[in-house]
Amino acid sequence: MFHQFSATAESLSKASSLVLRIGTDAHLYDDPDDVSIGPLLESRFDSEKVDALKRLLALLAQGSDVSQFFPQVVKNVASQSLELKKLVYLYLLHYAEKRQNEALLSINCFQKDLSDTNPLVRAWALRTMAGIRLHAVAPLVLRAITKCARDPSAYVRKCAAYALPKLYDLHHDEDNSSFEELVDILLNDHSPGVVGAAAAAFKSVCPSSLFLIAKSFRRLCEILPDVEEWGQIVLIEILLRYIIARHGIVKESIMFSLSTMSTTPVADGFPTFSGTSGNCQTLVGTTCDVNMITLMCKSYIDGQIECFAQTGCSNSNDDKLDLSLTSSTNDDVVMLLRCTSPLLWSHNSAVVLAAAGVHWIMAPRENIERIIKPLLFILRSCQASKYVILCNLLVFAKAVPPFFSQYYEDFFVCSYDTYQIRALKLEILSIIATESSIPIILQEFQDYVKDPDRRFVADTVAAIGLCAQRLPMVASACLEGLLAITFYESSLSSSSQIDGEAGVLVQAIMSIKAIIKQNPDSYDRVIVQLACNLDRIKIPAARALVIWIIGEYSVIGQIIPKVVPSILNYLAWSFTSEEPDTKLQILNTAAKVLLCAQGADSLAFRKILSYFIELAKYDINYDNGRMHHEPGGKILNGKMHSSISSTKSSRIYLPGSLSQIVLHAASGYEPLPKPCSLLNTDLTAGVVNETNDSDISSGSSIEESGSVYDSDHSSISSDDGNESVNDSNDTESTALAVRNDVQDVREKTLVDVSNVNVCVDDSNENTKGNLSAFISTDLAELMPKLALESWLDEEPGVSSIQTTQQASSGRISINNLNCTVTPKLHSLLDPTTNNGLRVEYAFSYEISTISSMLVLVEIFFENCSSEPIKNIALKDGESSLSVESSDQVLGESESLLRTANVPPVLSTEEIASLDPGQRVKKLIEIRFPHHLLPLKLAVTCNGKKFSTKLWPDIGYFLKPLSMNTSAFIDHERQLPGMFEYSKRCTFKDHIEKIAPVKDDSSIHSDKIILLSQILASKVLSNCNVSLVCADIPVSFNIDDASGLCLRFSGELLSNSKPCLISILVEGKFSEPLVLTVKINCEETVFGLNLLNRVAAFLQ
Amino acid sequence: MLEKQMAGHRVDRSICAWFWDYVLSQGGDPSMILPVIASPTHYLFQLFRDGIIFLACTQVEMPPLMGIEFLCRVADVLTDYLGGLNEDVIKDNFVIVYEILDEMMDNGIPLTTEPNILREMITPPNIVSKMLSIVTGKNSNVSANLPDATASCIPWRKTNPKHSSNEVYVNLVEEMDAVFNRDGILVKCEIYGEVQVNSHLPGLPDLTLSFSNPSILYDIRFHPCVRFRPWESDQILSFVPPDGEFRLMSYRVKKLKNTPIYVKPQLTSDAGNCRVNVLVGIRNDPGKAIDSITVQFQLPLCVASANLTPNHGTVNILADKTCCWSIGQIPKDKSPSLSGNLVLEVGLDKLHVFPVFRVGFRIMGVAFSGLQIHKLDVKNTPSEPYKGFRALTRSGEYEVRA
Repeated sequence: MFHQFSATAESLSKASSLVLRIGTDAHLYDDPDDVSIGPLLESRFDSEKVDALKRLLALLAQGSDVSQFFPQVVKNVASQSLELKKLVYLYLLHYAEKRQNEALLSINCFQKDLSDTNPLVRAWALRTMAGIRLHAVAPLVLRAITKCARDPSAYVRKCAAYALPKLYDLHHDEDNSSFEELVDILLNDHSPGVVGAAAAAFKSVCPSSLFLIAKSFRRLCEILPDVEEWGQIVLIEILLRYIIARHGIVKESIMFSLSTMSTTPVADGFPTFSGTSGNCQTLVGTTCDVNMITLMCKSYIDGQIECFAQTGCSNSNDDKLDLSLTSSTNDDVVMLLRCTSPLLWSHNSAVVLAAAGVHWIMAPRENIERIIKPLLFILRSCQASKYVILCNLLVFAKAVPPFFSQYYEDFFVCSYDTYQIRALKLEILSIIATESSIPIILQEFQDYVKDPDRRFVADTVAAIGLCAQRLPMVASACLEGLLAITFYESSLSSSSQIDGEAGVLVQAIMSIKAIIKQNPDSYDRVIVQLACNLDRIKIPAARALVIWIIGEYSVIGQIIPKVVPSILNYLAWSFTSEEPDTKLQILNTAAKVLLCAQGADSLAFRKILSYFIELAKYDINYDNGRMHHEPGGKILNGKMHSSISSTKSSRIYLPGSLSQIVLHAASGYEPLPKPCSLLNTDLTAGVVNETNDSDISSGSSIEESGSVYDSDHSSISSDDGNESVNDSNDTESTALAVRNDVQDVREKTLVDVSNVNVCVDDSNENTKGNLSAFISTDLAELMPKLALESWLDEEPGVSSIQTTQQASSGRISINNLNCTVTPKLHSLLDPTTNNGLRVEYAFSYEISTISSMLVLVEIFFENCSSEPIKNIALKDGESSLSVESSDQVLGESESLLRTANVPPVLSTEEIASLDPGQRVKKLIEIRFPHHLLPLKLAVTCNGKKFSTKLWPDIGYFLKPLSMNTSAFIDHERQLPGMFEYSKRCTFKDHIEKIAPVKDDSSIHSDKIILLSQILASKVLSNCNVSLVCADIPVSFNIDDASGLCLRFSGELLSNSKPCLISILVEGKFSEPLVLTVKINCEETVFGLNLLNRVAAFLQ
Repeated sequence: MLEKQMAGHRVDRSICAWFWDYVLSQGGDPSMILPVIASPTHYLFQLFRDGIIFLACTQVEMPPLMGIEFLCRVADVLTDYLGGLNEDVIKDNFVIVYEILDEMMDNGIPLTTEPNILREMITPPNIVSKMLSIVTGKNSNVSANLPDATASCIPWRKTNPKHSSNEVYVNLVEEMDAVFNRDGILVKCEIYGEVQVNSHLPGLPDLTLSFSNPSILYDIRFHPCVRFRPWESDQILSFVPPDGEFRLMSYRVKKLKNTPIYVKPQLTSDAGNCRVNVLVGIRNDPGKAIDSITVQFQLPLCVASANLTPNHGTVNILADKTCCWSIGQIPKDKSPSLSGNLVLEVGLDKLHVFPVFRVGFRIMGVAFSGLQIHKLDVKNTPSEPYKGFRALTRSGEYEVRA
């Protein structure tokens, strides 16, 4: 230790800390093992036992398993020393579930302690007893809780309330009534601390038994300010749910004003409330986003999926709204609002947000503003909560911007904010800007543009664009600023490449584009300016955007048509040196210009276009090379850029919820109960409203899938995506809108026919894809009219009939496709690299009987030389190395592998000799380090060693799991949210196989069955899964494959968790199909990798 | 080092490994990570405080702010107990940390979070107990009795504190948030203040505190001990204080027009060089000395080298290109200035991004917002206690954009 006292300051401080650490537990933490713990535990002295337990705790804190001392520790539970007891309890809680039998020994002691005179001992005994999770003692625990719920000490009663969820968790299949009874007793406790704990118990034990609240509602409201802060958070939520279920929505609240507004247009009869809705509109003001609020309150109450499903069937809606109204003068409502308003001053920001949530939903509109200031004030608490609060504020601000418009200063970005916080602030600022505040906000934005964080600058530029779109009066000023940024950035990026500058430039042009789009006629000069600077803009994405703009507005105003020819000439000159993206846009623009050109010009343009196409044909990039076949479809590529700027998904969950932050329904999330679902009979009889229960839960379980759809839907209808088409032809776009409607209707019928929730899902995706297909075919229609048949081989007018026919489609489900499975052969050793031994391998469909870690691989040895090869063997390459590599990459599976202790290769015996031309098959079992990493293998033959790599195929880390369709759908529903991922890809393999059948007017279903077979065999040849079913849409359209859905199921080899694959087909037989592959799997990493794999082999 | 506590269902430790990977994938700076993260298996809440990461995870819906607030509270309590937060101090007292966590959280629900009560249940480590443990070889930090306060209706206060002292101190601590934009105009200036009370009073005292000018308070938040009614009607703070130090109230005063000091940075760049000149001076004399003045800024990434010299104080340029100029007090005879030259990276002619200057200062004895305590009444004590008042203003998010 002497060397530590050298003269450097560092070691001095170390030394001083050493001195300070004397008398603490540090030595126990640093070397818990320095004495043997066993004898210490057997010691007669409490102090030594304490020492031993502290060592155990240290080991436990460091993550080592010390359960082997369990029997010795349990013995000490009877000790009288409180400290020893406490430490034993800590240890017990950690290991009891593992060592059930030994833990039972302690039960007697707990029983004894429960009648101790010291309340602390009673409380600890109860906490530990409930916490050790032994099924055998559950009845005893229940009895103990019942006893403690009537304990004289409030602390013990509180612990009893806390014990309830633990027991419920252990045992919740049994009759709930005893739990409810206990919750009821505890809720009626006179001590606020107990009530808070009881609220927590209520929430986890019987969240839907709102009738329990009914009798004590007023008392609960009164006691609310005295309840400790954590209890307040839970209790506020319960009271809110109760009010909604009991009395419904408040007539004067935002929720109601907006839900009527939204339903009025859909359900054209709403006479009773039309007056109200009119009032609200004036109240809310013109800037209020009605759609947003509609979406918001619907998702608060119904959850995401139902809120969508209801838009069509408004009849039921009418009734419900009629019933569910209450006025803000309702005593209970007034009470709740009054008791929660002082909580807006709480120093716990979670309480403030919870209380604000109640006001947001329940308070009369004119009183809501009082929640704004407290909400803004809690922004000053800590960085972590700042983010959460801003996420919630964003939703509020989107719904009713005027509430926040005067507080814009609070959203100014400061240098202490993290990037995410800055982004949120910018988004809020761009929403709440008004005509009076915009000059100040823009001034502020000008400062942000010079910030060192370029990602943030790009966001600022986007925000400027948004502001300009919202407030046309500043549009030209913003445009000027944006142009200045564009020119400045382009001069910068040309001189040196700096990270992030490209993003700023692209974003600036995107913002310009968005502003121009609003009023193209008045900004022709801007376009010309951009065009003139085209050669200075070097970043491909930015160039592509500018070129798109030129193409889009090539006929606007007087000047642009004049400069377009020279621009095209310039582009023709630079075409070969452009990036693929830019090339696409050049082609696109040339085509558009040609379409709009008249007279002599058109000839010149045509020449340029054909020159481009000629160049594109020989492009290395396949996309471009293919483009000349279908320029119509490719014009759509303009949408690719615009969709980046489209706003984030508008998923809304209850304020303050976790789901709102992560933007998907977390498990356990429940929307508000149905208004007035709590009936008076329930209250008097005290019976659980079972129907109500099931209703709510089913709503939440499929929520996620619905919300995915929801965002998709909005992105379609926002017409951001198809602007490139719409703008060029107005009539066409209205036609599109009509089709959109038709599409909606079709969807409805589909849902009704099949009545399966997953189908809702599928058809939704379906629509989206179809829509884009329509757009492209529309364009295709448009172009031949303009005499471009010369290079178009599409038949016009096919698609227009299509939609109407699809409206009457049904589905057939089959699960027996006779498909051929041909496993793919991979090469392991090439005959040319050694003396003529070819080794190939294919993954086997059999399952290893030895260990679930093993994957069976068939190895084929073939002698391609002219002489026999001797002593062929296959060995594990470098075992040490493969373990290392597995260490780096593996997360959870690592520990599994270690314990499994299986060698990487279970090799077979040597092949003594292989004659020329002979082929031998061997089956080996391999434990791969990871489902993506190769295994190093060594092939020895004739005494030489060749090392090679065996690449795993993720598809064979599965084994088939047979199930029927409904089981599949059940499983799928259990794996929503983050366990579900999808990807789109195109599929072309079918074209040549189906093509011969094409002219033959045989029945359409033959083709679709053929397609299913192709798809199924493709999947089955690459994955070890089983086909569940193929859903075939019944369609009268001969060439349409849309709606075909194949489902496969398998389970993971390693842990037998189910893994579901669904493939949805869109498009026509004669063209490449768009496939949407969706995977539901609990192992997210595996699932995502599998998804990529599936998408890859389908492509 | 990773600490950890189980409640209810077991959470595998590997989640920490996942979290680390995530942090590294996001740039490796824990303070820049989102506070709420959805991992493949859990939702994580994280709090980064003094180099320690506090991580909580859940699989089900719960208010995220509740998780974050709880972590903040844990951090506060631990800091309070251990006299600071760092790896060593947690290691030294890991048993206490474990016991505290066990007391604060039960099965995922916060149990006892009041520092006063916790102190009674688990004795904080101190020199005496350390010495005792060395001499006698045993120590127990677990109290044998349940604190009575758990049963009372004022759960924040021990029922029977014994004190030789009979005193109460009220401290106004204000932080000034100000933003000057690139034109030197004051964009935003507000005070975030706290009324901190340190009370050592016997019995069950009842205090009332009133301000002479409560109308300037824009926003307020209270400690749970404050009664709402008197505030609503008369804007009087009426409360039974917890024992020891606590934050009675926090407030915000907005739209201030003045700042105590000015910082005027000037950056002019051409031909690959950037001339820096920063002037600091007193704008508005608060009447008391302004000390601990610092100016801190991040040199832009495109700066290759910097040469900065102050005429007063010292300048430090850290490895991450943070430049700290500590001035201390402003001398009477001259106004401090920092000047020098930044050499930009080759190929760059002009500086296109400009740093933000963060300013730090402290003024003892002044509440810059102008908030004044009118009087403090103490009732229900055997004898009149000693009352002390202090004030302090320091910089909060005070920044000047160049």
